[in-house]
Amino acid sequence: MIGGLFCYNHKGEVLISRVFRDDIGRNAVDAFRVNIIHARQQVRSPVTNIARTSFFHIKRSNLWLAAVTKQNVNASMVFEFLLKVVEIFQNYFGKISEENVKNNFVLIYELLDEIVDFGYPQNTDSGILKTFITQQGVKSATKEEQAAITSQVTGQIGWRKEGIKYRRNELFLDVMEYVNLLMSPQGQVLSAHVAGKIQMKSYLSGMPECKFGINDKIAMDSKGKPAEESKTKSAIAIDDCQFHQCVKLSKFESEHAISFIPPDGENELMRYRTTKDISLPFRVIPLVREVGRAKLEVKVVVKSNFKPSLLAQKIEIRIPTPLNTSGVQLICMKGKAKYKASENAIVWKIKRMGGMKESQISAEIELLTTDTKKKWTRPPISMNFEVPFAPSGFKVRYLKVFEPKLNYSDHDVIKWVRYIGRSGLYETRC
Amino acid sequence: MPAVRGDGMRGLAVFISDIRNCKSKEAEIKRINKELANIRSKFKGDKTLDGYQKKKYVCKLLFIFLLGHDIDFGQIEAVNLLSSNKYTEKQIGYLFISVLISGNSELIQLIVQSIKNDLASRNPVHVSLALQCIANIGSKDMAEAFGQEIPKLLVSGDTLDVVKQSAALCLLRLFRTDPSVIPSGEWTSRIVHLLNDQHMGVVTAAASLIDALVKKNPEEYKGCISLAVSRLSRIVTSSYTDFQDYTYYFVPAPWLSVKLLRLLQNYPPPEDPGVRGRLSECLETILNKAQEPPKSKKIQHSNAKNAVLFEAISLIIHNDSEPNLLVRACNQLGQFLSHRETNLRYLALESMCILATSEFSHEAVKKHQETVINALKTERDVSVRQRAVDLLYAMCDKSNAEEIVLEMLAYLETADYSIREEMVLKVAILAEKYATDYKWYVDVILNLIRLAGDYVSEEVWYRVIQIVINRDDVQGYAAKTVFEALQAQACHENMVKVGGYILGEFGNLIAGDARSSPAVQLQLLHSKFHLCSSMTRALLLSTYVKFVNLFPEIKSHVEEIFVADSNLRSADAELQQRASEYLALSKLTSLDVLATVLEEMPPFPEKESSGLLNLLKKKRPGRVIENPDRLDEHVKKEPRETNGTSGLTLASNTEQEGGSADLLGLGVPSAGNGNGPTTNGAGAVTNNIQKFYCKNNGVLYENDIIQIGVKTECRSNLARLALFYGNKTNHPFMNFQPNVSASPALSLAILLQVKQVDSTVEAGAQFQQMVNVECVNDFDEQPDLNLVYNYNGAPQTVNIKLPISINKFIEPTEMNGEAFFSRWKNLSLPAQESQKIFKAAHPMEATDSTKAKLIGYGFQLLENIDPNPDNYVCAGIIHTRSLQIGCLLRLEPNKQAQIYRLTTRSSREAVSQHISAVLCQQF
Repeated sequence: MIGGLFCYNHKGEVLISRVFRDDIGRNAVDAFRVNIIHARQQVRSPVTNIARTSFFHIKRSNLWLAAVTKQNVNASMVFEFLLKVVEIFQNYFGKISEENVKNNFVLIYELLDEIVDFGYPQNTDSGILKTFITQQGVKSATKEEQAAITSQVTGQIGWRKEGIKYRRNELFLDVMEYVNLLMSPQGQVLSAHVAGKIQMKSYLSGMPECKFGINDKIAMDSKGKPAEESKTKSAIAIDDCQFHQCVKLSKFESEHAISFIPPDGENELMRYRTTKDISLPFRVIPLVREVGRAKLEVKVVVKSNFKPSLLAQKIEIRIPTPLNTSGVQLICMKGKAKYKASENAIVWKIKRMGGMKESQISAEIELLTTDTKKKWTRPPISMNFEVPFAPSGFKVRYLKVFEPKLNYSDHDVIKWVRYIGRSGLYETRC
Repeated sequence: MPAVRGDGMRGLAVFISDIRNCKSKEAEIKRINKELANIRSKFKGDKTLDGYQKKKYVCKLLFIFLLGHDIDFGQIEAVNLLSSNKYTEKQIGYLFISVLISGNSELIQLIVQSIKNDLASRNPVHVSLALQCIANIGSKDMAEAFGQEIPKLLVSGDTLDVVKQSAALCLLRLFRTDPSVIPSGEWTSRIVHLLNDQHMGVVTAAASLIDALVKKNPEEYKGCISLAVSRLSRIVTSSYTDFQDYTYYFVPAPWLSVKLLRLLQNYPPPEDPGVRGRLSECLETILNKAQEPPKSKKIQHSNAKNAVLFEAISLIIHNDSEPNLLVRACNQLGQFLSHRETNLRYLALESMCILATSEFSHEAVKKHQETVINALKTERDVSVRQRAVDLLYAMCDKSNAEEIVLEMLAYLETADYSIREEMVLKVAILAEKYATDYKWYVDVILNLIRLAGDYVSEEVWYRVIQIVINRDDVQGYAAKTVFEALQAQACHENMVKVGGYILGEFGNLIAGDARSSPAVQLQLLHSKFHLCSSMTRALLLSTYVKFVNLFPEIKSHVEEIFVADSNLRSADAELQQRASEYLALSKLTSLDVLATVLEEMPPFPEKESSGLLNLLKKKRPGRVIENPDRLDEHVKKEPRETNGTSGLTLASNTEQEGGSADLLGLGVPSAGNGNGPTTNGAGAVTNNIQKFYCKNNGVLYENDIIQIGVKTECRSNLARLALFYGNKTNHPFMNFQPNVSASPALSLAILLQVKQVDSTVEAGAQFQQMVNVECVNDFDEQPDLNLVYNYNGAPQTVNIKLPISINKFIEPTEMNGEAFFSRWKNLSLPAQESQKIFKAAHPMEATDSTKAKLIGYGFQLLENIDPNPDNYVCAGIIHTRSLQIGCLLRLEPNKQAQIYRLTTRSSREAVSQHISAVLCQQF
């Protein structure tokens, strides 16, 4: 039960303010600004309680989005809702920025009226919303059309309308994974996990029913195949997962089959998380030597650890420097490296790198002696990259489309599958 | 800083505007990081920077620091700026240093040197800058370094006036951090004579300094009285045109006048009739001037004039000797009471509160009662109303008590919530103190509870019950009044408590009337029962059982109430117990027993409601205006023994309501004078001397009456002990004499210097005694502290050792493994080594605490040196005046056998012996 939703710019000026319940007054708007946006110290908790009112906020680019409530609500529900709101905004007017929000006031209020009712979140699927909230001004719908919208929104399959037709039936699947890692200086993995999601784009006619197969351990075992076989096929252990509302959960629970009628257009089908048997695409080996009090020698080796045929992209390694750095000399074999004083770090960028390769940077850091006895805390070296495979080992085994009413079969559908692995928080201590 | 702008540090201006243009916090931090990196590379660079550049970068660092970031470099550059000859550079250098240098910086020596140079400079501007810097830092180090020089500057003939002014203020600042900075003796008269200086600025600055000095040592500076008076009279009698620069809106030297008047308030009225006459003349002139028409309509003029006037009135009140002046002051204040300036009204009321306590002016103050009451009703400002309440309280006496209490009660209904509780207390106290008729008193208190029940503290209603029980003549009236009060629809819980208690005791006195028959009384009380808290319910249950005794005819009704589930099976254990016990009492026992158990409460011991006064003090510590007559009564009163509540049996305990202990022991502190503690009294005594080998601060000794704490600071062969004596009791210690002494042998090895202390320690107070120790030679004994004082008439002594041992002078020494072992071998003569094997007293696994002890003892713990990682290896140098003694130590634990082997080597045999003897008891 969200009491209200506010949106502020970076200065704390209110851009959007929508109150859904009476228990939230106008002063809540100011309370958030004073206590969080303009707080002395940066507020790190996304949930803040001020005078028995809870504020849940997220920050996107320069904007603050805050949901307010006086009740004891499910916090994860509220955040899920806020993220959905952001997603809807992006779908409607692209990048979220102060400019865009100001230009779309009317639309935003219209959307807010639709997706929340008395503080209870409603249908937040942008595909459906687009069928009746358009940006092209008011279109006087006929009675039949209105009835169709109503029956569709309130019907069983609220995410897809009937009578969609495409000449080419196509289906795109993107498997996107974020690898998170924390490694000790000796190369021991302290923590690692992969957060993945499956992004689906469907252009299918009619009301097709799809079946989706993945190399999940449980699903494969339940198929009655012997355990050894599933192992050889490298099944993976999924710790937890979450589906789009179109997936029939009862069927997933009983048969471990993912079956659904897909929404039209782009959607996130599934989210999952794995922690076991992650193939780490890169290994960072740091060597830090303190030469006296005025000098520091840093050598960092990066090894790529995947098939030589694949190419990693957008590699960026960030090596933190001590706070009393007064000069840096850099030598790197590949890519470009630069000392960024404003961020207290050396940033080393490599455009492309093949598998099973190795590259190295060495830096000489001059230090200014200071009067503090505080030692440098040596923050971890972090890394960003993009690789064309799924580090968790996730595989799409099959995707079948059935459309009993229209005359096209599984073979006629063109299917595309793509794997992308990106870095989340990928850090190595030094 | 116009000079800086003229100089135009463009880089700085650009940087600041960059920062101001930053859109977000992150952007700002990025910009600052970039600038810091730039400055670091500039400072690190091989090129030498010129003064301008240094100034610019130091300015930037200062700006970044003021934005809230840590700055840990640049001090050297700032110190370099100090030696520049350009004013702007020097100024920035000093600015940076006074803002950023912490007291214990290593650079302080360098800075002190620069400041010394500037102090000796012939350029007055440089001297002023240096003085400013000293005052801004104002640390102990500064006081030690410059305590000698600044007084010289201050009194020297060829110092410029401006510099003298700065020097006086600087000295004041140093004096506040370290009172020992001002040398006594010859300086006294020269400093006092600054009041005669030609230059008004110097006099103003000196007046502040002298005021502080006088507070510390009034006798020595007594000479300032006549000088101050003559200076004051010169100012007061002069016309405003005489002081060109020091006339502020037609008032001659108002600040100086105020300061002089304040200074005089430190002393009793002058004894010399001439001086006294002159002072009275001055004060009269000031009062006369107040009557003159204002010379200007500007607010500043009246402010300055009134400031002087109020300070003069404070002095008149302080002196409290001339009735004529007091009355005039009172009349003057009376005029201000109806002034339209709120601040003036406030000040007038505040001063009048003090005037009301003087016997001469009490009557004069009373003349303004009407005005004050009016102020209470019509005043808009809450703080002024508060003052008005204070004044009414202060001016109250027998003649006007009834009226004032009535007015305060009337005001209570509309009073601000913040002052209600205090007002309630004041009304309660006044009503009790000046009550001629106890009926009136009961009425007032009941009215009080009715009007402001929430603000009536427990003590107030305890008190009314005490009085009713002790006075036979009001009991019937009280019962009738509470009965009537309880009939109101909404009734405060405190009223229910009072009503319940009084009806339980004296309900029979009004039972004759049909309107208040027993059944009606019971019904009335029980109708409130369910709205009350469990404490009140418990009280009401007691009342009911008393009804059983008073009115046997309603016994069955009462028993019904006890039997009710909400009582007999109440979740509250107290209620349940009372209900079941009372039920049993009423059902089973004979009438005789019942009558004995439930007899009327015996009268309470007579005493004043000092509890209420204490409460009032607690509410507003530091600024309680006493009601005047109270003072002497209070002193006369002997603390009474409490009626031992522990003697009561369970039966009688349950008979009374829960708060009975409070009722009896109302606010009287239980001073156990019977068994005064003797030497090292029987109570818990802690003497922690052993622990102080490994730590510097803490409680050294503690028993029931006194606590002695120690704080030790050591630097090479010098140590400074701060001894804190805390009086834990309610009585002052008299003839308090701490003696620190060393045995003859010890006194050759260390020099002790002990500061004298006052001979009295006030109750609950703590004070500090400094002991300076210099180590001349090594030693193994500890000095004695012999403390003698009188507590409550009984002499007490405490004999303890002072925690000064040779290890306090150890300086930890860092060395690598090679150096350590070569030194270890060098000290291999049998006489230089001392070895002890002993059982572990503490768990051996706690390596952290062992390490902490070794470090606390004074050694440097050398890690990763010994081949066996379990062993502890330490090194240190003992500093004495004559020589330095190297000490090495090795502690080897044997975990199986739970024993330690401790080996100590040093160049002196006695030292090794002593250290190992001490340390073997620590682990």
